[in-house]
Amino acid sequence: MNNTPLLKINNLTVTYPLNSEGSDVLKALDNTSLKVNSGQIIGIVGESGAGKSTIGKAILGLLDPPAKLVSGEIIFLGNSLVGLSEAQFESLRGNQIGYIYQNPMTALNPVLTIGEQVIEAIEANTDMRGKNAREYAIQLLERADVSFAEDRLQKYPHQLSGGLCQRIVFAIAIAAKPKLIIADEPTTALDVTVQQSVLQTLIKLSQQEQIAIILITHDIGVIAETCDYVYVLRYGKHVEQDATNRVLQRPTQDYTRSLMASVPLIEKRLHRFALNEEDNLEDISTGLHYLQEKQTTQDSTNKPILEARNLSKIFITPSSLFKAKQLFTAVKDVSFTVRRGETVGIVGESGSGKSTIGRMILGLEDITEGSVIYRGKDLKLITDSTEHRAHCLSMQCIFQDPYSSLNPRMTAGENITYGLQVHKMIGSSDAKSLAQELMALVGLQREDAEKLPHAFSGGERQRIGIARALSYRPDFIFCDEPTSALDVSVQANLLNLLKDLQEKFSLTLLFVSHDLAVIRQMCDRVIVMKEGEALEYDSNENIFERPKHKYTRSLLEAMPKFKGLAQT
Amino acid sequence: MIKYILKRLWHSGILAIVMSLIVFFGLYVVGDPVEMLSDDEFTEQDKIELAIELGLDKPLYEQYFTYTGGMLQGDFGTSFVYNRPVLDLIMERLPATLEISLLAMVIGLGIGIPLGIFSGIKNNSRASKIISFFTTVGYSTPNFWQAIILIMVFAVFLQWLPASGRGLTNSMFGIEWAWLSLNGLQHMALPAINLAIYKICMQQRLAKSGTQEILYQEYMTFARAKGITRNRIIRRHLLRNILIPIVTITGLEVGGLIAFSTVTETIFSWPGIGKLLLDSIHMIDRPVVVAYLILITLMFVFINFVVDVMYAFLDPRIRHQK
Repeated sequence: MNNTPLLKINNLTVTYPLNSEGSDVLKALDNTSLKVNSGQIIGIVGESGAGKSTIGKAILGLLDPPAKLVSGEIIFLGNSLVGLSEAQFESLRGNQIGYIYQNPMTALNPVLTIGEQVIEAIEANTDMRGKNAREYAIQLLERADVSFAEDRLQKYPHQLSGGLCQRIVFAIAIAAKPKLIIADEPTTALDVTVQQSVLQTLIKLSQQEQIAIILITHDIGVIAETCDYVYVLRYGKHVEQDATNRVLQRPTQDYTRSLMASVPLIEKRLHRFALNEEDNLEDISTGLHYLQEKQTTQDSTNKPILEARNLSKIFITPSSLFKAKQLFTAVKDVSFTVRRGETVGIVGESGSGKSTIGRMILGLEDITEGSVIYRGKDLKLITDSTEHRAHCLSMQCIFQDPYSSLNPRMTAGENITYGLQVHKMIGSSDAKSLAQELMALVGLQREDAEKLPHAFSGGERQRIGIARALSYRPDFIFCDEPTSALDVSVQANLLNLLKDLQEKFSLTLLFVSHDLAVIRQMCDRVIVMKEGEALEYDSNENIFERPKHKYTRSLLEAMPKFKGLAQT
Repeated sequence: MIKYILKRLWHSGILAIVMSLIVFFGLYVVGDPVEMLSDDEFTEQDKIELAIELGLDKPLYEQYFTYTGGMLQGDFGTSFVYNRPVLDLIMERLPATLEISLLAMVIGLGIGIPLGIFSGIKNNSRASKIISFFTTVGYSTPNFWQAIILIMVFAVFLQWLPASGRGLTNSMFGIEWAWLSLNGLQHMALPAINLAIYKICMQQRLAKSGTQEILYQEYMTFARAKGITRNRIIRRHLLRNILIPIVTITGLEVGGLIAFSTVTETIFSWPGIGKLLLDSIHMIDRPVVVAYLILITLMFVFINFVVDVMYAFLDPRIRHQK
């Protein structure tokens, strides 16, 4: 065994121009180095903008202009990869170095069959042609744990699940027995139960074929389960590197430590995430006053404020050229109650109907069957439109995507109070000061109420979304995956904010998420959903410590385990 | 599938009825055919006799039902002007229009798409900018002006190609075609090019914007990461994806070419159907106009159906729609 590494990157710097002259540049990678030995699995972890994906693209010569490799060396098997021609890269890609993309649904061409795409990779990188190539394709799919491999060759990507598509991408990546695979967030787009087995397939393949893997991810749990060695990046700069256990358990850098503290744990429920927040608590008394004014008129807590009775939703897809009309049951006979001041969580994989429930409660989606009793009244039976509107306005929503949920042409402040003004609940001069108070309440600067949404980051936009929901002094807030588009440290901050606000104003939340750990941290009671059915509905502790349903148990087992920081 | 086709037929039936109503009553408002057909020597009595002969003395709604009743039995009526069955008139001229329209479309697709892909891939190159400049000019100058320039250059100065008429025709399947002889092809050249200029420009722009959209899809980068050569990526991964929007537009354009290449046919004295339509509107030859527009309506419905099928052929996601 020789000691020269398979791949060595020395002081790599990649820039993106920020203006047309190129005088101002963003350093996507800043003097970064790393090393991979053959057969080794290393992890690169960091939040968005850390430059993780840029490393992978730089190795394969896939950096598209205007990205520019400014300096540094990339040495693979003793040869430099910097400045190779496109033709030289073509013989390297697939052949020596494989690549796995984040989203398998977009990595595969939608108009070509699986067979065409696998065989094309085989023919490009090996001597096999025709029937041989086809047989090898079947073998590859089988090795990547794709069942019914032969039939699957005839299918198109959209006919298969995300997990299967990712296995097919694996099969393509290992076709020419490369020495190295770059896996860029290989499980991020997949459901948690699928993640686990897909990850195991990847590890199995790497061991069988002696392939080294660079695993790029933001998911610390995935790193903990797979990698021997890990690099932590932030803003393109190297922060820390060491054996995985040491980095995760005893990080030496502040950034790594706060990153680890941000990861929601599944083992136990914490009061808050232990972040080093500088609480710049300025005077927010007006905002507090505005919200508390309402509180005093409310009934005592612990009474059910909302009751869902046997909710069902059936979607009808109209007939088209090649298909008859179809019925799809999104929600099947789901009942639960939400008490004042508590947080009820709905957890489930994609397509389980969890968001549909919230949308039906808010009246954004028609209810096929069943009823919603809100503040003691069946919303369907209220005929008086003023009363109906009052009920509806006291239910608010925090949306998943912070980028599309704010009107880009209105300032942050206008976004917050626009609805109130439309419903004549506030005058325009009061609206301005209220918007500023609410901005301060959610931890933003008062002055920033004048700025347009594009001036804010994703986390800040989500705070504006929270302020908008609060402006109605709602009795009930539906949170639809409010943090799933955010980085883990931003998520931790936002969840802390929600917890604080809930404590202050005894807010009632219905919290939908696919992330069990987030639900564990946020919710008092939890509904577990699968394919439209509520399988289990119980207290947080019972669901996570004594799960009754076997699906709940399988979800919990599938979660990547991360022990958290060693208590010091 | 069968249900879908029946639904389509039902829709096109309604469309044809609405179309016939609009045209029939619209033309009635425009003028009186009897006045157009009679010359100065006609007495009032002659005019009344002519009206009775053409069935124009009856109330309008009765005329409409007589006409549409005949149409349902395959009788599209008789032209007021030519005194011949309308269907014969149309079928005589349709092949002439079909051949230059289809030739124009082939030229348009054959030149426009490769140019568009090229300028989409080499977006910032000089060549791409020059191509885009010319297609913008071609797109925005009037068709008749382009026709006059073509005649001046190729027919008057260079004298390479004839500027008017259809030339020699040969018979195939009992229909006269110009494209079967060299002389006929020469006559077709200028009108077809005239029609094609616009199509080239449009296809170039469509293919260019499609290329730029598809080029940055992840599966394109992934295809590169698989180690596939650039040419193959363009042929297999790019082309098929950009064809999806192109097919839609091309379908509509083929219909448009066949139905409304009137200006070009007039300038080049091409004995096509567009010229017939223009003359018939001028003379208020109602049976011809109504029958023509109903046929065109049905043709558009048919083309749209073909487009839908091709769409599903190109895009498997449509074929397996849930």
